[in-house]
Amino acid sequence: MKLLKRIPASLVSAVFALAIWQVVATVGPISDSSIPTATESVKALISLLGDAETWTAIWETLEMAVIGFVIAVVIAIPVGILIGLSGFAFTSTKFTFDFFKVIPPIVIIPITILVLGPSLQMGIFLVVFAIVFALAIQTAYGVRDADPILLDTLSAYRLGVLSRVRYARLPSAAPFIAVGIRISATAALIVAVVAGLIGGAPGLGRALLLTQTGGLVDQTFAIVLLLGIMGVIVSKGITWLQPRIVFWIPQ
Amino acid sequence: MRAGRRLLNILIGAWLPVLLIYLWWTASAGSTNPYFPPLSEIWTRFQELWVFDQVPIHVVPSLQNFAMGYAIAVVVGVGVGALLGASRSTYRYVEPVVDFARSIPAVATVPVFIAIFGLETSMRVAAIAFGATWPILLATIQGIRSTDATLTDTATVFRLTSTQVLWRVRMPAAMPIIFSGLQLGLQIAFVVTIASEFLGAGFGIGAFTQIATDSFLILDAWTGVILMGLLGYLINIIFDIVERLSLRWYYGQKKLA
Repeated sequence: MKLLKRIPASLVSAVFALAIWQVVATVGPISDSSIPTATESVKALISLLGDAETWTAIWETLEMAVIGFVIAVVIAIPVGILIGLSGFAFTSTKFTFDFFKVIPPIVIIPITILVLGPSLQMGIFLVVFAIVFALAIQTAYGVRDADPILLDTLSAYRLGVLSRVRYARLPSAAPFIAVGIRISATAALIVAVVAGLIGGAPGLGRALLLTQTGGLVDQTFAIVLLLGIMGVIVSKGITWLQPRIVFWIPQ
Repeated sequence: MRAGRRLLNILIGAWLPVLLIYLWWTASAGSTNPYFPPLSEIWTRFQELWVFDQVPIHVVPSLQNFAMGYAIAVVVGVGVGALLGASRSTYRYVEPVVDFARSIPAVATVPVFIAIFGLETSMRVAAIAFGATWPILLATIQGIRSTDATLTDTATVFRLTSTQVLWRVRMPAAMPIIFSGLQLGLQIAFVVTIASEFLGAGFGIGAFTQIATDSFLILDAWTGVILMGLLGYLINIIFDIVERLSLRWYYGQKKLA
């Protein structure tokens, strides 16, 4: 029992899950289907990682996610601040932004394929579309959440709009923006994959589609495993990075 | 007074969408660009197709799969989540797997389900249920575990059994958090529904749009995109209403505090 406690829970958990998978794929009711065993899939993953093409695909997916993310942040934060500063602007845009915020980007893929083709640009466009509205609304909420007493004090001292933004609005928006950025980063990766899988944009999504249409089932499972690993790295990476970059924001 | 204020807000919120649609309508009026047909033509085609000629063929099956998959996800996510949330030691060993499964983009699992089930309805329902379960499961675990200690202590003093504490005290207290997971699950379920149709199906609204795009029927493709967008929005609105009604006590409490 003591020995068991010294083994990390995550390791026990992973081995256990892989063992269940192995058994289900070998004997259970769905063993007749083409589902590969855990060992076959892990083997396929290892051989994929030895392949230069896989790394190109990973790079292309990350490229779409990062470029789209940066564009969205550069647009959304200033727009969000401007909207948040005026009650009229906030009420005016709220419905429209909310509408686009909840529309999943997958819905507009057919039109984006027609206009932009199955390209890197299409993937970037979808990533921007997926996060820009939510991030702008989130920023605007943060700006509006500023302490009214602080705002009154600043205007009592006859400090202008700019210093009110700097000393009251931005500090109150920062934690909201931090949350928004965290959600957006994971969303960017997901949408970059979906753009490839559904829209034929380059990268891991397209690689996944090709393994499926080619009937390479063990590779299909391997890529899905790889996507899970990348997802964990991105979300853990941001949780680790954020307090180190914006250290003044309470988590 | 408050009703008047709300009406004013609705009016202020309305001018931008009205303006956008007006701009789209006039700018596209004489359009010869094959990808951006006049909005008036899209609108006419939309009425021909979706009011309500093609609805039973394409919309109903999509919504059925969506509802079935989401229902499974809610039952499994909340049920298993409640049990896992109540047992700390088990959860320690389950957490890494749940964390991993949740990190896989739900749409990317569709090819896996196609490999197992083929292009059947069961594949779609399974993929939808799988994708939507994780956020619900995680939110339920988190909600159950963050119950106010005073609540559970009080319940123990009143000699409630641990099962009673779980279902009568911790579950209701966890509801606001569970609802956030339910909403995320709902959005994932909708996206996976459409993805599963894009990746191969004869009918369903995603399949309709995909086929229209491939055959260069641009007007039809536009109506499909607009219909999917409206459905996605509508589903969220309905969820918001259900949440507001179910969590009335919670919002009331928050207002007092």
